[in-house]
Order: sequence, then C-alpha cells, then structure tokens
Amino acid sequence: MRGVRRFVKDLLRGRRTKPFTVDRTDESQLRTAIALKAGGADTGPSPEFVESLRERLRTELDDNPPVELPRGNSRRRFVTSVAAASAASIGLGAAIERGLSGAGSAVTAEPPPADQTLMPDNGEWRAVVAAKDLPDGSVRPFDAGTMIGFVRRTSEGLYAVSGVCTHLGCKLALDGPARQLNCPCHNAAFAVDGSVLHHRLPTALAPLPKLMVRESEGVIQVFVPPQPA
Amino acid sequence: MSDDRYPDWEAVYNDNVDRVYRLMYAKVGNRPDAEDLAAEVFVTALRPLRLAASVGEVRAYLLATTRTVLAGYWRRTLGREITVLEEDWALVEPAADSGHTGAGARAEAILAELPERYRRILQLRFLNACSLKEAAAELGVTVGNAKVLQHRALRQAAVVADRMEA
Repeated sequence: MRGVRRFVKDLLRGRRTKPFTVDRTDESQLRTAIALKAGGADTGPSPEFVESLRERLRTELDDNPPVELPRGNSRRRFVTSVAAASAASIGLGAAIERGLSGAGSAVTAEPPPADQTLMPDNGEWRAVVAAKDLPDGSVRPFDAGTMIGFVRRTSEGLYAVSGVCTHLGCKLALDGPARQLNCPCHNAAFAVDGSVLHHRLPTALAPLPKLMVRESEGVIQVFVPPQPA
Repeated sequence: MSDDRYPDWEAVYNDNVDRVYRLMYAKVGNRPDAEDLAAEVFVTALRPLRLAASVGEVRAYLLATTRTVLAGYWRRTLGREITVLEEDWALVEPAADSGHTGAGARAEAILAELPERYRRILQLRFLNACSLKEAAAELGVTVGNAKVLQHRALRQAAVVADRMEA
C-alpha cells in the first residue's frame, strides 16, 4: 500500500514514479490513477521538449542519416527495416535484452538460429509452476516478472520458450487443443517447441528463443534475468 | 508530403511527436517519464527508418515502437505491464484532434460512477491539479480527512475502472 501511495503522490506532483514491488491488487489502482491524471488538461508536449528532442535527433541522425531508398520495392524494404527495429523492441518488450549474453543479446535483422537458448549473464532460477500441475504432455504459460513464456513437459524432459512473438514483440496466446502459440497481432503461430508454424509476413520469422528450465523440490523453475532493484 | 510520403525524418518527427508524446502521457501519467519514453521511441525508430515507406506505414511502425517501448518501461520499473497500448489505429488514422487519446473521456466516465464526495476529491486532485490543502479547503474537511478520502476514492474508482474494462 505504501508503494501505491508514493506512486500516486509522485503522479500528482508531476514527478517520475519510482519502482516498487507491485501485486495484482495494486495494479488496478495504479492504472486508474494514471487514467485520471492523464484525463486532466494540458497533456501535450512542451515546446521546449519538442525542440530539444528535435536537436538531439538532428545531432544523432546527421552522424548517420536515415538511408533514402529508391521508390521501387519500397514496401519490402520498409518491412525489413521494421524487422530490424523490432528485434530491438522485442528486447524492450520482454526485458530479455537486458542481462543476456550469447545469441540472444544481438540486435539484428537476421533470424537467430533455431536452437538459440537465452542465458542471462546475471540470471536467477525462478519458480513458475508446481511440478504436479505440469504432467506429461502439458503446456503452461508463465510470467516470471522479467520474462513471460511457456513451459511444457514431455516424456523426454522439460522445455521452456519465450512467450513473445519474434516479429513485433506481441504476447503470444496458448491454444491448448491445437498445441500452438498464436500471435494476436499478425496471425503468426508457433508450435509449443518454439518453431514457426505459419505466418503471412513478407520477412523471415525467427523461432522462439528457448529458456533454461529445471525441476527442483516439486516446482518447475526457469532461468531468467533478475527483477530490477 | 507529396505522394503520401514524408520528405525527410524531420517531417516524420513534426507530424508525429505530439501524438507519440500524448500516447505515452496517457499511459504513464507524468511528464518526465512521457518525455523520456517519447524520445526513446524516436531515437529507436528514426535511425533504421526508410523514407520510401508511406505515411501510414511509418505511423504503424512508430505505433509498434511506442507499444514496445512502453512495455519495456513497465517491465524495467515495476515488473508488470500496468498499462498497454491498444489503440492500434491511434497513429495510423488519427482523429480530427491529432493529439486525441480519449483520456479525458475515460477519466470522466470513471468519475461519473462514483459517489459525489469521492468524485469531487478525485476531480480536484487529479483533474484540477489542486494541492491536498486546497482540496481540503474546497471540501470543508481537514487535510488528514482529505487524504483518507482520496485513498478511499481511488480504491473505489479502481473497482469502477475494472468493471468498465471487464
């Protein structure tokens, strides 16, 4: 409750809000406080901000200006550039870029290899589901705070994959009967092992990164980046 | 913008900075964070941008970047996505008021469901930017009572907001 009160106080004073441990009951109060605050007058950007950001962009882009392309084939090229930006966005959206090493940390337009496993430099094992709730052949979604994903058990072992589409970073939804993970944004679908089932994107779609997973003392744990301090 | 395309990155910026900022403000509720996040959107989005794309494609791209920057912000700060950007067409097909996010109407809808004193304290504090002391004077109560009233009103407003979303 103290965290919520401090958050609201900062909000009302127009200050940055500070991190704290949030539970589900806090969430709706925070969301409502934001909705009410944003409903007030004067929510546009200040002229000073608009000008200072323009100057910043001018400085950064003049060093490496955006590339002007011929008009022909522009859509395909644009989509490729979106894919490159989206690779960065996925890291932001799922917080998988921070603290990760290996293939998972690179921001690139090229699809990562199919057997990519995310390995945080500074990770921790976090319990995501009771072992008894993950019988052979089943799949369960999880939210480990810094990562979301899906764990599954087969007769051969435990597996976990990221729950974020590798296209634009949308959250995937589990279709249990079909044993697939659907992206609500652009109708892509992945198998529960992370491989791409189908999509209609004009660019290659990378498979879902895999996560390290284990069973310990009756719970399934995944290895994920730690919560921010 | 001839041929439905932006002539340069500055035109992209000029045409979209207001909307991106307002979307961020509607989702985080404070100016410093909204400014940082809007800046992050443009820094992330403009560098790889190909200007041969249409205005609609550029706006869709900015919207996708805005959504993921916002999601990253919540995961970094609170570990949960407190607010999400769902207005898929807010950037692609903006309303006549280019900065419209529907935030005012939503706040009014929530307040309309509350008992009078709860509605009044939240109006004074959140919409009218009154201090606790000013709000207490307006309501004829002590500052301590106004504080308690505000917390209770916000809890009730959250219940209303949840019901409206359900």
